Amino acid sequence: MVLLSVADLEVRFHTADATVHAVNGVSFELEEGETLGLVGESGCGKSVTSLAIMRLLPQPAGRITGGTVTFRDAILTELPEDEMRDLRGKEIAMVFQDPMTSLNPVLTVGEQLTETLMAHRQMTRQQARARAVALLEMVGIPRPATRLGAYPHQFSGGMRQRVMIAMALALEPKVLIADEPTTALDVTIQAQILDLVRNLTADFGTAVILITHDLGVVAGMTGRVNVMYAGFVVETGTTAELFAHPRHPYTVGLLRSIPRLDDTRHEDLVPIEGQPPDMTVAPRGCPFAPRCAWREERCVAENPALEPVVPGTPIVTTGPGATHRAACWYPATDEEARHGAPLRAAGGAA
Amino acid sequence: MSGPDGGAAGGGPGEAGNGVPIVEIEDLKTYFPIRTGILRRLAGYVRAVDGVSFEIRRGEVFGLVGESGCGKTTLGRTLLRLQRPTGGVARLEGRNVLEFRGRDLRKMRRRMQIIFQDPVGSLNPRMPVSDIIGEGLLAQADVENRWGERKVRDKRVGDYLEEVGLRRDYARRYPHEFSGGQRQRIGIARALALDPEFIFADEPVSALDVSIQSQILNLLLDLRDRHDLTYLFVAHNLSVIQYISDRVGVMYLGKLVELSPVAELYANPRHPYTIALLSAVPDPDPRVRKKRIVLTGDVPSPAAPPPGCRFHTRCWLREQLGDPEECATIDPPFREIGGGHRVACHFAERIREEVSTAAVIGVEEPPGVPGGADPISQAS
Ligand SMILES: Nc1ncnc2c1ncn2[C@@H]1O[C@H](COP(=O)(O)OP(=O)(O)OP(=O)(O)O)[C@@H](O)[C@H]1O
Ligand SMILES: Nc1ncnc2c1ncn2[C@@H]1O[C@H](COP(=O)(O)OP(=O)(O)OP(=O)(O)O)[C@@H](O)[C@H]1O
Ligand code: SF4
Ligand code: SF4
Ligand SMILES: [Mg+2]
Ligand SMILES: [Mg+2]
Repeated sequence: MVLLSVADLEVRFHTADATVHAVNGVSFELEEGETLGLVGESGCGKSVTSLAIMRLLPQPAGRITGGTVTFRDAILTELPEDEMRDLRGKEIAMVFQDPMTSLNPVLTVGEQLTETLMAHRQMTRQQARARAVALLEMVGIPRPATRLGAYPHQFSGGMRQRVMIAMALALEPKVLIADEPTTALDVTIQAQILDLVRNLTADFGTAVILITHDLGVVAGMTGRVNVMYAGFVVETGTTAELFAHPRHPYTVGLLRSIPRLDDTRHEDLVPIEGQPPDMTVAPRGCPFAPRCAWREERCVAENPALEPVVPGTPIVTTGPGATHRAACWYPATDEEARHGAPLRAAGGAA
Repeated sequence: MSGPDGGAAGGGPGEAGNGVPIVEIEDLKTYFPIRTGILRRLAGYVRAVDGVSFEIRRGEVFGLVGESGCGKTTLGRTLLRLQRPTGGVARLEGRNVLEFRGRDLRKMRRRMQIIFQDPVGSLNPRMPVSDIIGEGLLAQADVENRWGERKVRDKRVGDYLEEVGLRRDYARRYPHEFSGGQRQRIGIARALALDPEFIFADEPVSALDVSIQSQILNLLLDLRDRHDLTYLFVAHNLSVIQYISDRVGVMYLGKLVELSPVAELYANPRHPYTIALLSAVPDPDPRVRKKRIVLTGDVPSPAAPPPGCRFHTRCWLREQLGDPEECATIDPPFREIGGGHRVACHFAERIREEVSTAAVIGVEEPPGVPGGADPISQAS
C-alpha cells in the first residue's frame, strides 16, 4: 500500500538578493515497510524535500510553490496547521540532520524525552521516564538513568544524534524520515541503530526515507534509491540495479568517487569535476550539463524528464519491481560507467 | 609555513611520520562533573579523557577513531585549550599549552585551529559568511598579510569558499541559508583561511557526499604538502581515515587502545576492539554480505569504567581465551609491539598474524585464536 506520495514538488527560498530553486519538481512514492534511500551532492535539496513533506520549511523564506504531498488520504500540502501538528511525530517523524536545531538547549535530555512521550502517548510522568531510560539504552547510551539529567551540550555529538533517533523511534511512526541519522556514529553503534530502524520497518511496517552520504549504508539498508542533483531526481530504481548499472552521468561519477576499505591502490580520490550548480538561476537545460562529459548540444537547451532506461517499459514506482529510470538524453552504458567517461567519438550521439 | 614562528623544519610530505613532534600529550585527563536532582548535587565524574599519551609529528595526519562518546572531541578541545585538563600536560613545540599568555596566546590561537564537529553551533547565526570567516582574519591582521584591508579579506574569503566547493557569492548569505554539508564547509574554510599550522579537524567531512568529500580530503592533503600542515583528524568513516592518515589512534572509553602507522593498522590490527570496528564497516557493494563482529555486553559508562582492561566487558577475544583473570584485574599497559605499533591488550600476540582486514571484512575467514570459538555472526 502506498503511504506517502510526492508529486511535482517545488520549493523556493526567497533570500535578500535572490530566489533559490531548491526543489524543482520532485515525484516519488513510498510503500508501507519500504526503505527508500535519498542520495546526492551536498546542497542538492534532500533536506529541503524532507522539510517540505513535514511542512517545516524555515519561514518566511521557504515556500512550497508547486506540487502536492499526500499521506494516505490526507493532502499534507493543504492540511490546516493544527491537523498537521497532530500527524507530525505520531504518523510521520523526522530525525533532523543537525541534532542541535531540534534539541532544546535549556531542557535536560530526560525532560525532552519524557515531554515528547507524554504529549503523544498518554503516559504518566513515571511511565514516560521509564520508557525514556529504555529508549536511551536501546540506542546505546551507557547508564542512561544517570544521564537523564544532562543537557544536550553535555552529550557528545553522536550521543545527541542518538537522543534524536530515540525520540523518533519512541512514537513508532508510519513514515520515518531520517536525515543523515548516523553521520556522527562509529560503525559499531551505527550498525546497532540501523538494526533498530530495520526492526521498525519489519514490526510496524514503517516506511523509511533514509538520507545519507554513506553509500555503504544505502547498499545495506535500502531497497530503492533516488539520486538527486540540483533539486531534481535524476535517477531512480532498485538499489541493486542502480549500483550495478548506473545510467545517469552524475550517478556514475558519484559511485566512482567512493573510497573503499579494501582499496589498496591508494590513488588520489577522484571528485566530480566542475563547479556546483547555481541554484539561484532557474534551470533551463539539463542541470548537470556544465559538468557532464557526455554532454551534447541538446542537453544545454532541453531538460530531460525521468524516463525508463529501457524505453517503453511500464512504470512501477515502488517496491522491489520498481522501474529503473533516469533523466538523461545520453545515458551511460555499463562499459562507460566502468570507464567513467563516454566511449563514443566526440560530437557523435550514442 | 608562513609566519616568523614557523619552528623547526619538520618531516615533509615524503617523510610524514618521521618529523619532530609538534604536539605532545602526556597522561592527559579531562573529567566532567555529573550533577543530579534539583539541587544538582555532584554525583561523580565523566572521565571523558582518562590518561592519554601520544605525540603528533609535524606534517603528519594523525587519525583518531573510536566509539561515539569515547572522548575524541574532548581530547582535541583540551589540546586547543578550549577545555581545562584535569591532569597531565599537552605541549605545543615543547611548551605546555596552559602557559601561553597574552600575545603568545593570541598567536597560538591562530596557529592551532579547529573544525568543529557541530557546524551549526559554531557559526554565529547573525553574521553573513563574509564576516564569519573575515572576523578571524581581522583579529589576526598584520602588515604582512594585510587582512585588515576589506578588499584583501574579501578576496581571501572568496578564494577559500571556492577551495571547499562553494560559490564565491555565498559570502553574502547567513548560516541558516545553507544545507548541512555547505555549513560544514564554511567551518573548514574558516579554519583554513587563517593559515594555521595545526588543525584539529573533528569529523570535518561527515556531512559531505563522497565526491565533495574527496575534493576536501585532497585539499587538506595538498595544504599539508605545501605548508607542512599537521592534522589531528577525527572521523568515524574508516575508509576516510585510511585514505588521509599517516598514523591512526584508536580510542576506547577515554583511553588509547591502539596506535600504529595506517597501513600496519589496517593490515594487522592487534586490539580486539579495532578488529570489531573494522569488521562493522558497511560495504558499498549491495551484493557483499559481510561478517560482522557484534560487540555484546553493555556499553560501560565513562563515569565508572570497568576495572582491569576497560574493554573486558565486551571483548570477544577474552571470551575465546576462556576469560583469563588478568583482563578483569590488570589494566593492560599501552606497549610497543614493533614498528611504532602500540597496543593495550594483554593478549595482542594471540591474535593470529594472518588476521588481516581482508580476512576480517572478507566473506569467509573469521579472525580467530587457536582453539577459539567463532565470535563472528552474520550481519543481515
Ligand atoms: N533557508 C534557506 N535559504 C536559502 N537557501 C536555502 C535555505 N535552506 C537551504 N537552502 C539552499 O537550498 C539548497 C538545498 O538545500 P538542502 O538543505 O536540501 O541540501 P541537502 O541536499 O540536504 O544537502 P546536504 O547534503 O549538504 O545536507 C541548497 O543549495 C541550500 O543552499
Ligand atoms: N561539557 C560537558 N559536560 C559534561 N559531560 C561532557 C561534556 N562534554 C562531553 N561530555 C561527556 O564526555 C564524554 C566524551 O564526550 P566527547 O564529546 O569527547 O566524545 P566523542 O568521542 O567526541 O564522541 P562522538 O563521536 O559521539 O562525537 C561523553 O560521555 C560526554 O557525555
Ligand atoms: S542529459 Fe546530457 S548533460 Fe545531462 S546528464 Fe545526460 S548527457 Fe549529461
Ligand atoms: S586485555 Fe583482555 S579484555 Fe582487554 S582487549 Fe585484551 S583480551 Fe580483551
Ligand atoms: Mg541536508
Ligand atoms: Mg565528538
